Formats: sequence, C-alpha cells, structure tokens
Amino acid sequence: MSILIGRKIKKTYGKKQMAYEVLKGIDLEVEKGEFVGIMGSSGSGKTTLLNVLCSIDRVTEGLVEIDGQQLQKMKERDLAKFRRDQLGFIFQDYNLLDTLTVKENILLPLSITKIPKAAAEARFAELVKILMIEDIANKYPNEISGGQKQRTSAARALISNPSIVFADEPTGALDSKSATALLSNLVNINEQKNVTIMMVTHDAVAASFCSRVLFLKDGQLYTELYKGEKNRNDFFQQILHTQSVLGGDGHEA
Amino acid sequence: MKLNQLVFKSMLKNIKHYYLYFFALIFSVTLYFSFVTLQYNDSVLQTAANSGSAAAGLKAATYILYFIVLFFVLYANHLFMKRRSKEIGLYQLIGMTKGLIIRLVALENIVLFAGAVLVGMVFGFLSSRLFAMVLLKVLEQDTVVAMTFSIEAVKQTLLLFAILLAVILVQMAFMIRRVSLLSLFTASKQADERVKRFSPLKMMMGAIGIGLISYGYYASTQLFSEDVATDLFLNMLIILATTIGGTFFVFRFSIAFVLNLVRMKKNGHLSPVDVLALTPIMHRMKGNAKSLTLITVLTAVSLAITTLSYISYYSADEKAFSTSPTDYTLYEDNGKEFLAALDMEGIAYDAVELRLQKVEFSLEELVAEHMKNNELWNMDMEIYAVPLSDYIKRYPGLKLAENEAIITGYNNVLSEMIPLQLGNVTMKAEGQSYPVEVIEVKDEYLLGNIVVGVGGGPVLIVKDALFEQLAQHKGISVWHKQTSISLHDQGDLARAEMLYKETNAYHNEFYTADKNGELQLKTRNQVSKEKSRVDYISVMGVTIFTTAFLGLAFLLATGSILYFKQMTEAEEEREAYTILRKIGFSQQEILRGIYMKQAFNFGLPLAIGLLHSYFAVKSGWFLFGSELVTPLLITMGLYIVMYIIFALLSISYYKKVIKESL
Repeated sequence: MSILIGRKIKKTYGKKQMAYEVLKGIDLEVEKGEFVGIMGSSGSGKTTLLNVLCSIDRVTEGLVEIDGQQLQKMKERDLAKFRRDQLGFIFQDYNLLDTLTVKENILLPLSITKIPKAAAEARFAELVKILMIEDIANKYPNEISGGQKQRTSAARALISNPSIVFADEPTGALDSKSATALLSNLVNINEQKNVTIMMVTHDAVAASFCSRVLFLKDGQLYTELYKGEKNRNDFFQQILHTQSVLGGDGHEA
Repeated sequence: MKLNQLVFKSMLKNIKHYYLYFFALIFSVTLYFSFVTLQYNDSVLQTAANSGSAAAGLKAATYILYFIVLFFVLYANHLFMKRRSKEIGLYQLIGMTKGLIIRLVALENIVLFAGAVLVGMVFGFLSSRLFAMVLLKVLEQDTVVAMTFSIEAVKQTLLLFAILLAVILVQMAFMIRRVSLLSLFTASKQADERVKRFSPLKMMMGAIGIGLISYGYYASTQLFSEDVATDLFLNMLIILATTIGGTFFVFRFSIAFVLNLVRMKKNGHLSPVDVLALTPIMHRMKGNAKSLTLITVLTAVSLAITTLSYISYYSADEKAFSTSPTDYTLYEDNGKEFLAALDMEGIAYDAVELRLQKVEFSLEELVAEHMKNNELWNMDMEIYAVPLSDYIKRYPGLKLAENEAIITGYNNVLSEMIPLQLGNVTMKAEGQSYPVEVIEVKDEYLLGNIVVGVGGGPVLIVKDALFEQLAQHKGISVWHKQTSISLHDQGDLARAEMLYKETNAYHNEFYTADKNGELQLKTRNQVSKEKSRVDYISVMGVTIFTTAFLGLAFLLATGSILYFKQMTEAEEEREAYTILRKIGFSQQEILRGIYMKQAFNFGLPLAIGLLHSYFAVKSGWFLFGSELVTPLLITMGLYIVMYIIFALLSISYYKKVIKESL
C-alpha cells in the first residue's frame, strides 16, 4: 500500500520572467515500511522535493497525498496538525531548541496532543533505549555531541508514532562513526517498528542504508535503484556508479 | 562606488532596521524640543512668573529630561548596533578597515540625526502647544495659547543633540573597535547566556532576593513610626538599597529559581506555553537582569513621583478646607462690614458662631505606651475647646455624657505619625485642672488655620457646662469666637471674594504678651477657602505639570526599551519558531505562548514597579496631601494602560516574525 504519492509535482520560484523551475514534474510513490533515499547533486532540487512532500512548502502544480490525505486541500492550521500527528522530521542542523533539555526536546511534539503522561513516558523510554541516549536525558543540547543531538532529533521525530519520517541530510554534520551509528539506528527502527523513512542525502554511504534510492537531476527523476537482496557494500558500489554516470552527464557535455 | 554613495545605498536598503532607531530619535527630540519651547512660550512665562520657583523647576526638569533622552538613545543605539553586527562584519570581510567602517557608520548616524532632529522639531513644535494648554489648564488659567517659535529653544535643542551625537559616535566607534571579526558575526547570539544548570547557590540567592524586598517593604511601612524616625535618612538609604538590590536578585535568580521549580515538577512534559514562555524567560534572565532592574526601578521612581505630585494636586481642595473649613472664617467681632456687604449684594449665606477657649493639654496621655517620652515631638500643646452646642450646629448628632469630650480636626501628618488612643486627659488653665474622658477622635475641619495652625490641628469638644468653667480663664485665650460663613450658592463666590478683600475681613489683630509681659499687637490674615485653593494650585501647578511630564517621558522611554528588547528577542528566536512550525505547531499555538511571554515581560517589571512605588508612596504620602487612593489608582491605571499598549505592539511584531518563520 502506498503511503506517499506524488503526481506531476512542479515547483517554481520567482515571478513571470524571473521564474525558475526547480521541480519539473516528478511522479513518485512510497510504500509503507520503505526506507527511501533521495540523491542528487547540489541544486538538483532534492531538498525542495522533500519540503513539498512533507508539507513545509507548497507545490506550484501537481499533488501530494500522504496516507490518503491530499495536502493541497488542507488549510494552514490543519497542515500543522497533520505534521504533528502524522509526520516526523530530522534535519541536518538538528533543529533542537537550546533552551530545552534532551527529554523536553523529544517530548515536544506531544506537548499539544492529549496523550497521557504515562503513555508518553513509555514511548520515550523505548526510543531512548533504541537510540542509546538514556543517560543524557536531562542534559541541554549544548552539552552533548553532534551524534547525540541527531539521535535526540530522531527520537523527537519518532515520538508521535508518525506514519512517515522525513530526514534532510541527517548525517551531513556528523563524523563517519556517528553517522553510521545513526543510520544503523534508523534501519533498526525502520525494520522493527515498520516506520516509513524518506531521506535526502548526497552521501553514497548514507544512501546505501536505504532500501531504495531515487536519483534527481535538474528537477527531474533520473533513475532509481533497489537494494533488493544485495548486501550494503554492493549496493554502495552501485550507487557510486550511478552517481558518476549522473555527474558525467552534465550540461556542458 | 564612493563612500557617500555606499552610505546612502545601505541606508535605503536598511530602512526597516533603521525604523526603530529613527523612531527613538524622533521621539526624543520631540519630547525635548516641546519641553524647551514650552519654557519660552509667552503665556507660560507669564503664568510661571506668578508661581515662585517655577522657572527654576522647569530648568531642573530640562536636565532630567535630557538625562532620560541620553539614556534612552544610548540604549537604542546599542541595540541597533548589535542588530547590524552582521552587516558590519561583512564590510570587514570585503576588506574595509575598522576606521573606514567607523567613518561610514558615523556618516550614517549624522544623516539620521539630522533627519530626526528636523522631524522631531516639527512634531515638538506642534506638541508644545498641546503641552502648554495642559499646563495652563492645570493652573486654571483661561488664556488662549499662542504658537511661539523660539530660536532660543532651537539653539538649545541643537546644541544638546549635537552633544548626544558625539556621545553616540564614541559609543559606536567603541563597539566597532572592541569586537573581532568573528564575534561580530555572532554578536546577537553571544549577548544572552545560553543554557546553564541551576545550582543550589543560585536558588539560595533567589530566596535572598525575595527576602531583601520584603524587608525593604516592611521597613518602609515603619519609616515614620516614632521608634525609627530618628534615623530617617539612614533608614531611607537602607530601604532603597534593599529594594533595589532585592529587585536585581529577584530578576537574576528568584525568577529563574521559581520557574525552575515549576519546570522540574513537569519532568520533561512541557506544555507549548512552557516551551515558548517559561524556558526562554528562564534562560534569558542573566542577560536581562540588569536592564529589567533598571527599568523596574525607573518605573517605580517615576510612578511614585507622579503619584505624589498628583496627590498634591488632588489635595488642593483638602488643603483649602484645612485653611478655612467654610468659605469664609471670621474671628471675634471682625468682618461685620463683610457680612453687611454680602447682605447688600443679596448674597445668601449661613453663619455659624463657635465659642472658643484655649486650654493646655498633653497628647502624651493619649498615645501608646512606647511612644511616650519621644524626643522628636513635643506632646505638650495649647488647644482650643469648643462647646458641644456650638459644634452640633456644624456637625449635628453628637451626644456627650458628663465629663466626656471628643477630639476633632485630628488628621493628615499628625494622625499618621502620632495615632491617638481614647482615654482620660487633663485640661489645664491657669494652674487649674479639668479632667475629661476622650471618647472619640475625628478628622473634621472645624476651625480656621490661624487658630489651629497650618494644615489643621486638634480641637476639643466639651459639654457646655464644662466650657462655661473653662471660659473663666478668658484671659489666656487669644481667640474667643469664630464665625463660619458658607455661601448658599457657589456662583456668588467671585463677588464674595471681592467683598472679602475690599472689607479687609481677612485681617485680624490681637494683643499678646511677650516674654517681658508687655502686650504686643500682632496681626494674622485668614485666607478664604477659595483663595487658598487658587494660591495652592498656582504654586504647585508648575511642579505638578513638570513631574507629570517627566513621568510620561520615563514611562515612554522604559516602555519603548522593553518593546525594543522584545523585537530583538523575537528576531533571535525566529529559528525556534521555524523548528516549532516545522514539527507541527500552528501559528496560533505559538502565539498563545507569546501572549504569556509578553504578559510576563511587561507585566513583571510593571508589577514589581507598581509594588515598589506603592510602598514608597504609602510611606510618606501624607506629607504631600490628604487623599491617597484615587490619585494612586489613576496614575497606576495610566501606567498599566501604556504598558498594555507596548505589550500589544510587541505581540504584533512577534506575530509578523512567526508568520515569516516558515
């Protein structure tokens, strides 16, 4: 069953003569439980795509449907509620609030919902265990490492049991060890809790953790790779290969 | 591109940033210029000439106003420079020297100042007429106020703002010189403390802060009570130190301490309001403590001064009553011509005759045990007795048993400082004693001020039989009879005033023995109630107007600073709003937190300021007038309304930031 459907997505910035088309009609479908990666060089429109898919930005043309609900038809206030209840977010620069402790940051999305304290506490305990951040729950973001921050951010994305998690370059600011740890965590969560994850990255290693990788070039879907039964290393080589083909086929050629 | 072109271009581009600073400048010039112009207004000059120290008062007020303006503009400039740190860092990055940047910013500032002074003078000129009208209204003068443009005022304003500009330029150069390129980029972040843990020591300091303020308040209520009144000055210093120090501690530690308790109790499960109001406030308290303390103290001081001056103004009627309890007060057989003249003119009036007899008497018998033997007050006094039958002609309904008496006219300062208890007292006259029991102490005005003293004083009311006995000692009494005249129709007041003056009815002569036993002729003038009121207003009017004006300036300055602060905070928190909106908080939900934050940011300095001023006013208001509640409520109400307006302004700014944040 498709949890996310995008049809003929177009996104244009600027007006009239100055208009610049970033997304030029993208079709995609994501199945429940998939771990999808979006790759592409700088300026290929991958972050823009993620933003319109996750309702932070609006499409110029086309439609986006998540869990059977069309985003274009929803009002600002309903969209906010939808994001809170159905979606989780992980960003490159963590986006944690400096004034809140790790625990408070993680529980933040639940603050408006009416989930009983005990249930929230149980979810919190489970997540910090999986992500191995139990002992820093009462620290402030400026007291912990980048990897810990990103895992905190992941816990916050998952606390509301979202139907899909969007990750925008989650490993972009991490060293390779923390990045691998985080990605393994995400894979675990994806497999154990059957959470759908969509991740934008330009790092082939990060992409090799996905079950499917979409390649974007100049605002259009270029190709896609399935991991299938391959091991991670083979998949990594395949991604590298595709990337080099993609890069060698530039405008100037 | 030449330097001046660059300056001009960057100014046009940054007009939004400038708007705050420019507004602050214009506002300062307007206030200052209108106040100075006021002093050169002919109608004001004439009126002020009548009221003694007015000119000196206005001059002093100008200096205070300049101080407010200086402080305000320096603060606004500081904020403004902090905001522009990125731009200045960029100039440095592209290779400009600090010297060049300073020249560039200086040039901008000069242009801005010139513009602001020009616009401010136009506004100031217009508003000075309004202020002049208010002043003359306070003074009850019905003159038409002409618009006068004073070159002298222009010169003075130009000079002072030129000095201010120099100060600003020094401040700006200092700020640019001091910082490194790296810190310029992060200046807006650095200023406020990032997150730190809350140690037990800080919590203790928080508790001490509350303790200090409580002590200061307690001490202020005791300020004029007799046991401590001897060290009045020292006590006032202690109260000031404890309340100001306590205020700082409260802002620096107590607030965070209390909020931290609330937060710890939530164990991680914060509400949106906690996230948006509680935690940012907690973490900003270190950076904000000093400025909030200053704002609170300024609010308290200006509010207290405004209230006290308003109390004085409001008490004009009361003062008049204490001078002459009825429209006119005549003594002995004086004023027959006045009454005849009133009859002639057909002015209807009531006349009540009161018999008077002086006796000696000691308050000591009626004060609490611990107040006896006080060095400050001499409790032995001469007091006039009035027979009951005369008294009930003015204030009907009183009944006295044998040997009972009441004291009336006991009010204001005296009654605040020396509260009386009921009990037995002994009246003395020429060595004879007449014991009575005081069964009630009242505060009605009965006798004119040349009998009981300025501001009113106690009078004894005794049974007629006893009065007859006292009247045997006629010889020691200066006054024997008072006639209280009240007009039926206050519309006749103007004519009656003329007659009172023409017939010399106010002029009283009497003989009294000097220390050698020789009789001396003395004179006393009994001012009428209306004249007393008018004189009072013309003396106090300018002072009241000036303090009110300064109070307004303080209010606007502190309110604006709070608003500017909130604007900066909103910019700094923009990122947090982006995060919150991304993870699914709607604008409305974020705003709800902002309402709380504003209620806190404006409400707390205001509430503490109000409390401070309440205790300040309460400790000594009776020295200024006789009515506390109404003037206090009116001035406080005004302050609250103004703060609400500033809070609404800052909320609308937050609204804009939140809307733009996603």
